[in-house]
Amino acid sequence: MAVQDNVVGSVAPTAPFPGGQDWRARQDRPVWEATLWPNRSLNATGQRQVMLLIAVGLSIPLLPALGTPVFWGLLPFTLGAWGAMWLGFRRSNRALTLRETVTLWRDEMRVERHEPSGAVLRWRADPWHVRVQVHDCARVESYLTLKGAGREIELGAFLCPSERVSLAAELEGALTHAVTGRPPLSP
Amino acid sequence: MAEAVVHAHDEQPGFFTRWFCSTNHKDIGILYILTAGLLGFISVAFTMYMRLELMEPGVQYMTMEDGSPNGHMWNVMVTGHGLLMMFFVVIPALFGGFGNYFMPLHIGAPDMAFPRLNNLSYWMFVAGSALLCVSLVTPGGNGQLGSGVGWVLYAPLSTNEAGMSTDFAIFGVHLSGASSILGAINIITTFLNMRAPGMTLMRVPLFAWSIFITAFMILLALPVLAGAITMLLTDRNFGTTFFDPSGGGDPVLYQHILWFFGHPEVYILIVPAFGIISHVISTFSKKPIFGYSGMVFAMVGIAALGFVVWAHHMYTVGMSKNAQAYFMLATMVIAVPTGIKIFSWIATMWGGSIDFKVPMLWAFGFLFLFTVGGVTGVVLSQAGIDRAYHDTYYVVAHFHYVMSLGAVFGIFCGIYYWIGKMSGRQYPEFWGKVHFWTMFIGANITFFPQHFLGRQGMPRRYIDYPEAFALWNYVSSIGAFITMGSFLLFLWIMWYTVTRGQKITDPNYWDDPAGTLEWTLPNPPPAHTFETLPKREDWDKTPAH
Repeated sequence: MAVQDNVVGSVAPTAPFPGGQDWRARQDRPVWEATLWPNRSLNATGQRQVMLLIAVGLSIPLLPALGTPVFWGLLPFTLGAWGAMWLGFRRSNRALTLRETVTLWRDEMRVERHEPSGAVLRWRADPWHVRVQVHDCARVESYLTLKGAGREIELGAFLCPSERVSLAAELEGALTHAVTGRPPLSP
Repeated sequence: MAEAVVHAHDEQPGFFTRWFCSTNHKDIGILYILTAGLLGFISVAFTMYMRLELMEPGVQYMTMEDGSPNGHMWNVMVTGHGLLMMFFVVIPALFGGFGNYFMPLHIGAPDMAFPRLNNLSYWMFVAGSALLCVSLVTPGGNGQLGSGVGWVLYAPLSTNEAGMSTDFAIFGVHLSGASSILGAINIITTFLNMRAPGMTLMRVPLFAWSIFITAFMILLALPVLAGAITMLLTDRNFGTTFFDPSGGGDPVLYQHILWFFGHPEVYILIVPAFGIISHVISTFSKKPIFGYSGMVFAMVGIAALGFVVWAHHMYTVGMSKNAQAYFMLATMVIAVPTGIKIFSWIATMWGGSIDFKVPMLWAFGFLFLFTVGGVTGVVLSQAGIDRAYHDTYYVVAHFHYVMSLGAVFGIFCGIYYWIGKMSGRQYPEFWGKVHFWTMFIGANITFFPQHFLGRQGMPRRYIDYPEAFALWNYVSSIGAFITMGSFLLFLWIMWYTVTRGQKITDPNYWDDPAGTLEWTLPNPPPAHTFETLPKREDWDKTPAH
């Protein structure tokens, strides 16, 4: 879904943000903040239970062969299957560690995207100039973008369309609040 | 930050990139179905040769140059047919083909969890089938080409068969098994981690459930087969004696290990067909499936019980009476979840507005014939009766009713149901019906008389038989030729459909009441689907489907 960034690339969390200022230097409380992550239909406990079930299932043919050479003939394959499944879950979990954090102050808006590869991509703009847009002409339904600081970035491309629409509305309200001081209109 | 791509468009890959390097689950699904179809044709051609030979008593066609019977060639045909159908036709078509294409669509996932692994699985399957085909023309036993040890590869026959052919066949099965295991890991991860938001386990469509359960069985059963045939390889080539009594090994242990895999394999073949049949019966009865949760738990029950009944294939090897009693009772218990499925399908049709379109005919045929095969299975589960029927044509009739008339009918059912979705063109209804009826009649004429032959005592895996078995063998062969004619008609129907079939634009062209997600997509679906998560109202049409 997300298009690879050719502009910022991988940036260490403590590295100075382009412009000379440390990204983490700002400690004051934002007026609005949201963290977005992709849907994952099985939690960690569920995965552990599945792995346990597979281990039990794979051990059934091993038990009668205990004490025979055949046990050693079967063991590498059953262990291999279990290990491959474990690696599969691990890899899939890593792919689902994608996170996007949107932070809004009165004078600054930041988006931080944590890629599954470990890379962190950052964008910031003046809230006065940020435009929130929901596009219906793109391949992704209700495609949400933020335009500002000379760039247009996507936001929450991994969410479902209705989530993006409500996120856009919430974000518009927060931006209004940030730049005018007026409370956001209730949706 | 990810730059916005507001005016994105689908990139069209070239022919080579699309079909040889594809990581798209839909393209890989089509590749699996086409390859399985080609291998199925080879496998069915073997059976035509065998039925031609069995049409009359005496050996007429499979002879040496001097006219004497060529029993080795017969054994090679039996082995090739069994291995191809078990590992390279039914699993790839149902699990690899339909599973790849439709399971991610049903759960609203953009693709499989590991698209590149999916590509690797397919090509390992191709490499395995190539090795198996090569084994048919590689020096084998009796100074001839090919391996004639049977698909079960029983020791000591398989460990003593000369030549490289058996090694090639084992490597072929190895690659196929590795391909299936990698495919299973992919399916399990996709099914568990990538369902659409709100699609809890008890809201997943039954076909996706059937593929997930099959994947679980593959993951638990195929490593055991891999271990067993690796030990066969080392017994053959490195002087080990895992299955050789002279070195302390035990050939019966091989049978136990083989059937620990082999019986779940039966359900690996048939459970995906259960999923397809559920959707088709629901669609053409215009009703949601009856007893959704019962159907799910019945499939889980069948899969679980499938792992604890393996020795009913081996009543005659000398097991204790207690062991035989256990395996007999456990086997009969499988009739309970199977019955739940059969009765739920009937209950779905009850009071429904049934439309006998071609997919429904195949589903109806499946229902009737799988029940016949299931009932003879219960007969064979009796250890006492099995003494008489073991290795007779009764067993051949039984498992062909389950697999040839069960799994294969499931494949045809799925093809007619989804061909419009996959190709964008619809099959000709009249010729689809002709295909069904010729196949239904032909397959029944082929296999039903084999029950009589088994009851008369005709053993399986023989090239010749006495005069007393002539009548029903003749009838059976006529049925086989009708079936082959029907298969050739099917190939023509498929060619006609994809080249000249009527174009269909309605995404939900069957007006499926369950409204699974594939019916929200165009025909055929674009390369990229559900890159954005589907809306709940797209798939949650009924409370329990």
